[in-house]
Amino acid sequence: MHESILVYGKLRYLKVALALAALSAVAYVLHTPLGPPNGATWLGYTLGGISGGLMVWLAWFGIKKRTYGAGRLSAQEWLSAHVYLGTALAFVATLHAGFRFGANIHTVLYVLMMIVIISGMVGVYFYLRYPRLLTENRRGLSSEVMLAQLADLDREIRQLAMGLDDATNTLALNAIRDTIVGGSLANQLRGFDPHCPTTVARMFVERSSFESTSEQDAKRRQLLMRLVRKEEMLKRIRRDVQLRCVLRVWLYVHVPFSIAALMALVAHVVTEFYYW
Amino acid sequence: MRSLIRHITRKSRGGFAVREQTAESEALVAGRGNDCAIHLPDPRVLLHHAELVLRGGDLYVNALPNADVRINGNLITGGRFALGDILQIGPYEIKREEVGSEVRSDDAAPASYDCVLAVEMVQPLGDDLIDLVERSRIHITRIGLPLRTWCWIFALAVALLLFAAPFALNLFYQAVDVHGLTALHKQPPASPTRIWTSGAISSSHKFFGVACETCHQIPFIPVRDGACLNCHDGIQQHAMGSRFPYAAFTGTSCADCHKEHRGEISITLNDQAFCISCHRTLVEKTGHTELRDASDFGTDHPQFRPTVVTDTALHLMDRSRAIGDVPPPTENNGLIFPHARHLRSAGVRDPVRGIVNLQCEDCHTPTADGFSMKTPTFEKNCHGCHQLKFDALVPDRELMHGNVQDVFKQVRDIYDAVAMRGGYSEPTAPDLVRRRPGTTLTEPQKQIVARWAATKSEAVINGRFGKGLCSDCHVLTESGGPANSAKPDPADTLPWDVKPVEMSPRYLPKAEFTHAKHRDVACSTCHSSKNSMSASDVLIPGVAVCQSCHGGEKSNDRVPSTCITCHRFHRSDLRAMHPSGTNAAETGRWDNHEEAIHKEQEEQAR
Repeated sequence: MHESILVYGKLRYLKVALALAALSAVAYVLHTPLGPPNGATWLGYTLGGISGGLMVWLAWFGIKKRTYGAGRLSAQEWLSAHVYLGTALAFVATLHAGFRFGANIHTVLYVLMMIVIISGMVGVYFYLRYPRLLTENRRGLSSEVMLAQLADLDREIRQLAMGLDDATNTLALNAIRDTIVGGSLANQLRGFDPHCPTTVARMFVERSSFESTSEQDAKRRQLLMRLVRKEEMLKRIRRDVQLRCVLRVWLYVHVPFSIAALMALVAHVVTEFYYW
Repeated sequence: MRSLIRHITRKSRGGFAVREQTAESEALVAGRGNDCAIHLPDPRVLLHHAELVLRGGDLYVNALPNADVRINGNLITGGRFALGDILQIGPYEIKREEVGSEVRSDDAAPASYDCVLAVEMVQPLGDDLIDLVERSRIHITRIGLPLRTWCWIFALAVALLLFAAPFALNLFYQAVDVHGLTALHKQPPASPTRIWTSGAISSSHKFFGVACETCHQIPFIPVRDGACLNCHDGIQQHAMGSRFPYAAFTGTSCADCHKEHRGEISITLNDQAFCISCHRTLVEKTGHTELRDASDFGTDHPQFRPTVVTDTALHLMDRSRAIGDVPPPTENNGLIFPHARHLRSAGVRDPVRGIVNLQCEDCHTPTADGFSMKTPTFEKNCHGCHQLKFDALVPDRELMHGNVQDVFKQVRDIYDAVAMRGGYSEPTAPDLVRRRPGTTLTEPQKQIVARWAATKSEAVINGRFGKGLCSDCHVLTESGGPANSAKPDPADTLPWDVKPVEMSPRYLPKAEFTHAKHRDVACSTCHSSKNSMSASDVLIPGVAVCQSCHGGEKSNDRVPSTCITCHRFHRSDLRAMHPSGTNAAETGRWDNHEEAIHKEQEEQAR
């Protein structure tokens, strides 16, 4: 039975994260430092140590997930802990900062960390929602199969169009040669091509007359049928590309920013004590 | 259904190879899957693509879900598969052949098949697919830079911009003597590392706050006191370390209390908790303090004990009694001044203005800093009404205010002059004194008038308009003349004197009350002077009056007031906390310094 990472182990890591956040909040409220709350009190250093440790541990997931199944914890358990403790980090780190922000590298670290956490939350949302949409859209076909089917349709279109008038043939040929699936990041994410040559060809053939019952028109009908089918197939493939792109694109924010945040963490700790 | 499936492979040189397979089942499934009776290993075919069933001798095709199945080029979901029809499944063509046409190597077995199917791959994956794949980028990894490269770029950018670049630039940064620059009214150059700041600098330190090295002199070493003492050299102690060693703050650095980088708030530590950590139980802790314990201004603050003058001649002060004690603290300041009489609603008579209603501010004006009130003086505040005229026949002369002996001499001089001039019209005076002014006197006559002048001046000085006039406002001493008289002749001295006047400079010297901040509050709100009949009354209010507006640090319904709202940590009456230019905590000179002060104070007391 598939178990979502969010409910893994009867919400074990949600409980751990909530306990950590609650403990930090209680300590923060009860702690009455001399002067305003800040990162340089004993509680500030404690919360900072926890936050820094969490950041390193969360980043360790990037290495851990490559050795799938190794170690005591399953990949799913790791991910569940990664998600919940990452969310708790936002809370603990804010308390460590004592809600004080400014134009300095420490706030840069905070911003980088929050970008990583928020992009991670977006990633969780994507991972919970899109695989199902992806499966539904594919209807059992892999993307390679869909492309191969598209190629077959292209071949058939070429053969059918060869026997038709030049205008139809040219448009059909364009539909074969110039139709692009995916492309730039924007195109992949858009999920459709507003200037798709296949659509142009289909609309052209659709508008042409089908009055006679000549052999030409029979071919024309066959061509139209294949163009329509190709359009449907393109729609599915482009949706497939879109969904797979969305499933990966947040990682291009999450991972580089997490590395940047780790670097900023080192700078934060070193400079904080450099100018003690 | 018993079927023969013949897989035909055409060879490039012409001719073909046939692989035969027998299947026996209810229905034949065609698909990519290995479990399919008609196995079609091509990506364009679904795992289970189509199903063939025999019904009433006829073969029917059913397209399985999502499958693209055609018979003779027509897309179908199901239909009859007649002899000679071509069934298209992906790149394969399946022809139904007549039973009996099969070529069998093993003639012994009977040819009893229900159907014979010829399967042929007719559309191998061609150039169209390769072209399509080549011009389509269907995976995010094929866009731009790989994830790993982005990670490197981000990591290096952060390391370079936030750390390496400021650090490298800082190697060329020359720390400067801020103290010297201040004298020149110049700002120090900004450090490249100022983006490492943990928060904005407080307002008073802003002008050198851009130069990190001003305070952070050695990397990885917390700010040392020397940096602070560059400017704050004379900052005083909190208590005498020799008497209160725990209040010496030995080993405590300036920065332990004065936290910088907190933005636009004062770096003075104003937490009540810090003060009451000692002052809550100070009496028990020290055993020898005169201070009372306090833990919160609103709820736990001792009654005020004003410092009052008890003896003006000996300069004795006392602060043993608190407001509200019985008997109350009284100030023996040498004056007779009933506030009530001056402030009565019927008014007082001014020789020039007539009846006037005096107000507090007629006599009490704030000092220039607004901190306290100026001490009223006779000349400014009393003389308007209390003129010191002593003789209606000498209307243009007044007694000098000041030293009584000088006044005596002044009066004697006046009557000497009057006697010499004559024309003094008092009936009891000798004729010589009453004579027409300007007439010259003989030597014996001069002696007569001089004797009169001496008697008259003594009578005036000791009478209603002399001693009596003084005693309106001053306490007089009757003890055989002033001790410090410069006059060698005892005849010229008086048997009474005015008691020296001394008013307490500050009733509560350990607190700082600013009148300026309370200027919109009527005087009578705190000072009940309208009922005071004696100058010995101490008219400063009790703590309850302050508490009616001011509460403790965490007060919700009063002005939140911490200890240092009124009290100072560094006491201006003590010596410098750190001996000049050195860090006492480091040098250990602290106690020696304290000892010296204490000895000095003891000697003074002796």
